[in-house]
Amino acid sequence: MTVGDLSDAELCGLLRAQRFTLRVGPFLVRLRSVMSEVQAALALLYRAHEIDTEADGAHFVIRLDHPGLVRRFFRAQAQLTFDLRQPFIPLPASMAAPMLEAGLNWCIGNYAHQFLVIHSATLERGGRALLMPAPPGSGKSTLCAALVTRGWRLLSDEFALVDPTTGILVPVPRPIALKEGSIDVIARWAPDAVFGPSVVNNEDETVAYMQPPARSVRDSGLTCRAGWIVVPQYVAGADATTTPMTRARALMHLADNSFNYNFHGRVGFDRLVAIADQAPSVTLRYSRLDEGVDAVDRLAQTGAP
Amino acid sequence: MTPEARDGRGLDLLLAAVRSPQRLVAMSPPEWGALIPSAEEARLLPRLASDAQRMGLTSGLPDWTRGRLTSALVRGQEFERAVKWEIDRVHRALLPAGLRPVFLKGAAYIAAGLPCGVGRVVADVDILVPEAELPRAQVALQQHGWEFEPLEPYDERYYREWMHELPPMRNRDRGTMLDVHHRILPKTGRIHPPTERLLEEAREVSGISVLSPEHMVLHAAAHLFQDGEVAGALRDVVDLRDLIEQFGQDPAFESRLVAEAKVLGLGRPLFYAVRYARLAGCTIDFAGVGPWKPSAPLLAGMDHLVEQTLTRPDTTSGSLGAFALYTRSHWLKMPVGLLLRHVTRKATRNFWS
Repeated sequence: MTVGDLSDAELCGLLRAQRFTLRVGPFLVRLRSVMSEVQAALALLYRAHEIDTEADGAHFVIRLDHPGLVRRFFRAQAQLTFDLRQPFIPLPASMAAPMLEAGLNWCIGNYAHQFLVIHSATLERGGRALLMPAPPGSGKSTLCAALVTRGWRLLSDEFALVDPTTGILVPVPRPIALKEGSIDVIARWAPDAVFGPSVVNNEDETVAYMQPPARSVRDSGLTCRAGWIVVPQYVAGADATTTPMTRARALMHLADNSFNYNFHGRVGFDRLVAIADQAPSVTLRYSRLDEGVDAVDRLAQTGAP
Repeated sequence: MTPEARDGRGLDLLLAAVRSPQRLVAMSPPEWGALIPSAEEARLLPRLASDAQRMGLTSGLPDWTRGRLTSALVRGQEFERAVKWEIDRVHRALLPAGLRPVFLKGAAYIAAGLPCGVGRVVADVDILVPEAELPRAQVALQQHGWEFEPLEPYDERYYREWMHELPPMRNRDRGTMLDVHHRILPKTGRIHPPTERLLEEAREVSGISVLSPEHMVLHAAAHLFQDGEVAGALRDVVDLRDLIEQFGQDPAFESRLVAEAKVLGLGRPLFYAVRYARLAGCTIDFAGVGPWKPSAPLLAGMDHLVEQTLTRPDTTSGSLGAFALYTRSHWLKMPVGLLLRHVTRKATRNFWS
């Protein structure tokens, strides 16, 4: 059963009764909330995700609710609780979706060290994965959103989850976070794309989430191996150019964008080396989305930069 | 405290698992679900994960339980690796200057391969150097990338004049914290264990200097319940249990321990340490600490505070117990006038900021 199969009343009931357990890639996420904003965000952005009402527990147990009675009725706020912690300050209730996404990112970044976790948009085509490791602000989510509307399968716009011993990449498809101008760019690029409401976040940026393709969510059990590494750099006005990276540079780039390769010691280091060895790597400077997408497609077709 | 934090069931399960890791064998999935957050909060999840792995339990668990335990296990291994590297770096800074620091607490447990070093969560590395060598140690560390955190003048004075350590130092490159001690208890306290004796008796283990077994136990005893948090309290008790059970296997240990407690003036803290290590399932009891037993009403009071703090932080008496133990730890550190000043200062600053 998927979230889309539930009526509003059923979704609301499960969320209130702490029986709403979502399958998000390799993770079970149990959510509890009385907030209509949370229900709306889930119904829209997690429509294709499976739920497991019989689960006997979850990797991440999250509550997203008003911090108190006052903040339920007066300038309503939301606060996120994970385990026994409240990692974020309460924010306006309208920001429920960004809080949920930030909360999940925080959980995966801090409590999923069974994986080697790399800060990277990750997509798949022809059984091989494209990694776009980059810090926030480099345009990786924008390019990722554009690629998933052109036949690429979404593994994640935020994380590459690598099994440290086998090197297998595990999909964790979730809504794609777009900021500021990227929202309109993608809305024009893919008129059929479904977006949640645009809200202004804590850093005064407008954020909107794009619904992940249903096929990517359904296929989240299909794992693959690294095939290409593309480091995107949005440069205003630039023509799309790809420049090959040495394996050493690619390795350093993976390490810089990894949350925890050091946690895995020798195994983690060797795994990053193996990925840099097997996946041709380029930097991609671009400003116009169609050129960027074409450049990635060409790379994937030729198999080499 | 949030409503979720008042999770008495998780804490009961954590205490049961701490007392007897065998309890993990029969843990049901809902029990794991209650245990994991409490263990995480008490900084004991990597340790429990390691116990579970040693007992071969992980393969039979639901995927989500195994995921969280494996994650904690990996984090525990990282603590071990990072601490050993940090020790290496501290040595590189201090050995050429002719200074051989004695490593304390978590860093020592891990590097010496002691049972309480397994899956030990370590927030900072603590070292002990002679007070006369402090300026040289400070300079050598600063030359190797350690810096003092910006401090308010009051905090600077708190550390330099009253405490037993330099203000905390942070390594510029790794962000790791280092506490440089010249005593194990503050200057202002009522007990002054002589640092010279600790340094004289220090041992070489796996290439580093650590306190002698007796002093290790006494140091842990002196710091029991010091941070006034339940989280810290239970882990401290687990440390003590492991140290006592490890060193207590030597029949001659007790008499040496009691003799050193006399020399350092730490008889009463040792009495409490031995008594409350039993709460974590410690099976060794040292009769030799009997003479330091406090009066019956005082002991009943302490028993109550500790019991409430460790097992019932969800109740008012539990939080009061934690507060009372916290106050007591400061009582050991400072005379009452200074204590009042310090607490007032802290309270007003927190209030205004």
